[in-house]
Amino acid sequence: MAIDQNDLQRRHAEYLTRKKKENLKYTLLSVLGILLFLGIWQLASITGLADPKRLPAPTTIFQTLIYKVGNTAPDGNTLFVNMLASLQVALSGFGVAILIGVPLGLFMGWWEYADRFMRPIFELVRPVPPIAWIPLVVVWMGIGLQAKAMIIFFTAFVPCVINSYTGIKLTSRTLINVSKTFGASNFEIFYKVGIPSALPMVFAGIRVALGNSWSTLVAAEMLAASAGLGYMIQIGRTVARPDIVIAGMVTIGATGAVLSGLLSAVEGRFLKWQTRH
Amino acid sequence: MTDKAKRQRIRKILYWGLPVLAILTVVLAWVLFSASHPELMPGPVAVWNRLLRTFTKPIGRINLLGHAWASLKRVLSALVFAWAFGISFGILIGWNRTARAIFGSIFEVIRPIPPIAWIPLIIMWFGIGETAKVLIVFIGTFVPLVINTSTGIRAVDEINIHVGQVFGGSRFQILTQIVIPTALPHIFAGIRTSVSSGWTTVLAAEMLGATAGLGSMVTKGWNGGDMALVLVAVITIAVVGFILSTLLSKLEKVVCPWNN
Repeated sequence: MAIDQNDLQRRHAEYLTRKKKENLKYTLLSVLGILLFLGIWQLASITGLADPKRLPAPTTIFQTLIYKVGNTAPDGNTLFVNMLASLQVALSGFGVAILIGVPLGLFMGWWEYADRFMRPIFELVRPVPPIAWIPLVVVWMGIGLQAKAMIIFFTAFVPCVINSYTGIKLTSRTLINVSKTFGASNFEIFYKVGIPSALPMVFAGIRVALGNSWSTLVAAEMLAASAGLGYMIQIGRTVARPDIVIAGMVTIGATGAVLSGLLSAVEGRFLKWQTRH
Repeated sequence: MTDKAKRQRIRKILYWGLPVLAILTVVLAWVLFSASHPELMPGPVAVWNRLLRTFTKPIGRINLLGHAWASLKRVLSALVFAWAFGISFGILIGWNRTARAIFGSIFEVIRPIPPIAWIPLIIMWFGIGETAKVLIVFIGTFVPLVINTSTGIRAVDEINIHVGQVFGGSRFQILTQIVIPTALPHIFAGIRTSVSSGWTTVLAAEMLGATAGLGSMVTKGWNGGDMALVLVAVITIAVVGFILSTLLSKLEKVVCPWNN
């Protein structure tokens, strides 16, 4: 039986339209889900089912957000100043952690002696949850930018090291042997074979590090700060303003989502070759 | 030959000497730093004495183990709920596309908010009692479980599902007998993350207001300028965290032995 080329094309086109319709349906359902969620919330507030002193309506929170853009009450900073303060702390700690953690992990994974020396130190530090460092670091360095960046550094450092270490350990033996056969030095293999093959894992580690940084930042700012989004929601609680708290949470969530989107974009650029096979 | 033997001996010395050297360096650095700045960092001896004192003069009439148990109890009760709800919700949004579109989108909107950022709101709603703390830990553990479970369910190879269909399996049979077992390593990764994230979150929750628990010990030491107490608490936190993750690795080998 011969295959009718036209029939095949027609079926393929049909399949594509069906798929398109389906995707549209699910996108609409997603939007519907979120609208439903906000709608129920709003209704609960209007009807008084939810106490507006505890759970203000979405519209109120939106107004508070707009208000915070231009006003400093009640925590003393506008929304953008808080956001910049948080970003500055989180990104500096995160950046230093990448600069030190990734190379360290790669070295530990490649050179056995580095591994034997660094591993015990690392294993000692690793089980300490980053939040537990806060009091120590604050006593050592105060509550300035450096202290908070140091706390963020601790959280972001661990996943950077672990993933780089594991990633480079998983370099294919075959590739290493091929390079050796072609006369590459150990450093050359490390640089040209090991690092590229570890990159996907390294990025996975950086992604975890980013999430950790952002969430630890909030903790650090809630415990010791004079500006920042975490500070803002903590003040919101003490002055009993749930709208400020929720507006702060929304900003924290949205900023975190944007950061992780940016990281995905960078990752896509670096790992372009990976999608080819 | 002798040259080779010599090299091997040096290798062996380095192999075992380096870790010892590393630990010694850390201890030495600690001792030196504490000797010059005792108010910033108490030395090992001071910490050990403080540790003993948590038993002879318990804080809030609860000794160290009691505080550790208070924290653990909160994590464990939150984990029971998080495992039940998180895994089922993950399976639901991983398996059913309509459910994923409707509830998954809501989840995606809430997910980027770090669990710690919920603390002020939860305290406003429920005070600083036990319910509030368990709820905060629940939020921290629920999210990684849902993400891992739904990713695991979606990562199941289409071919395996088709085979199930060819053999006349119902959708429910395919889910319970093919998809969930295949997703088990992912689910277990979620469980692992949930435990470590729960342990971190409970500390934050306790540091922001509690009368028992390791987190409250940290705050108490911090406010009272008793750095030795802070270190005792931090070390206990690390030890318990380490024990938890070791137990989980053992458990993983029993539950899904095929996962290397």
